[in-house]
Amino acid sequence: MPDRRCKRIFAMLSDYLNAELPVKNCREVERHLKGCEPCIAYLESLKNTVEACRRYQVRKIPAPSKKVREALLLALR
Amino acid sequence: MDWVNTQIEEALKSLQSGNRQDAERALETLQGVVYGFGMKVCGSHEDAQDTAQETLIRLARQLREFPDARALSVWLYKVAKTQCLMSRRKSKFAPAQMLSLDDLMPKESDLSPAETKSWQVTPEETVLRLELRSRLEDAILALPKHYRLVLILRDMEQLDTREVAEVMGISEQTTKKRLQRARVFVRNALAGYARHLNERKSKSHA
Repeated sequence: MPDRRCKRIFAMLSDYLNAELPVKNCREVERHLKGCEPCIAYLESLKNTVEACRRYQVRKIPAPSKKVREALLLALR
Repeated sequence: MDWVNTQIEEALKSLQSGNRQDAERALETLQGVVYGFGMKVCGSHEDAQDTAQETLIRLARQLREFPDARALSVWLYKVAKTQCLMSRRKSKFAPAQMLSLDDLMPKESDLSPAETKSWQVTPEETVLRLELRSRLEDAILALPKHYRLVLILRDMEQLDTREVAEVMGISEQTTKKRLQRARVFVRNALAGYARHLNERKSKSHA
């Protein structure tokens, strides 16, 4: 990363994306992002990563096994 | 965890209603949640199916003990996580190691907006998404297990930080740290893929 300030911001970006950063730090990140192209690009790439994870779905879900169905029926009696 | 939570909430109501048909439908829903989680964590159908079976059998035994969807959700993920960690194919887990933020920090050359764009998730890029999907799976399975679990619970299952901490039995602060490193690790793996794509594109244009 370009300089020490970028390193400090880098360490806060994950919490920033989660909106879990204290207001003071959040302002610091936003001020820094206004003037730092590499950090803006990095934040975008981190957002894309989180978005890819959110959209990921397991394709084929098999039916519950016979044992599970039997256990459920027993529980409902 | 809006989406998963809604599903679990409906499933819990159906299970506790005592109606057999509703309960069977609810079971299908919970099978989807637990099997899906198992696949993401273990990367193997057999382990995911074992995880779902053991977890759901235990659930059937204590159906009426859950006051709300949140309690059920945390319980389900806790049990499923333990099952995954006990799975037969333990070798699938990368060795337990600490990820250092300094080591994960990108170089300036990794930060070009063009590379970032090439793994942006857009609905029309279906072929790219298939490749992206496979890269993402590889990156997640390469994560040390405690980082992998936190990333899956927070970013894929969409639990909030407090719930992830509860499932993992760790503090919220540790949850955030692990999530941060896991995200950067996966981001770096996808950046490598983006570079490879860009090189492939420039070669085909040459």
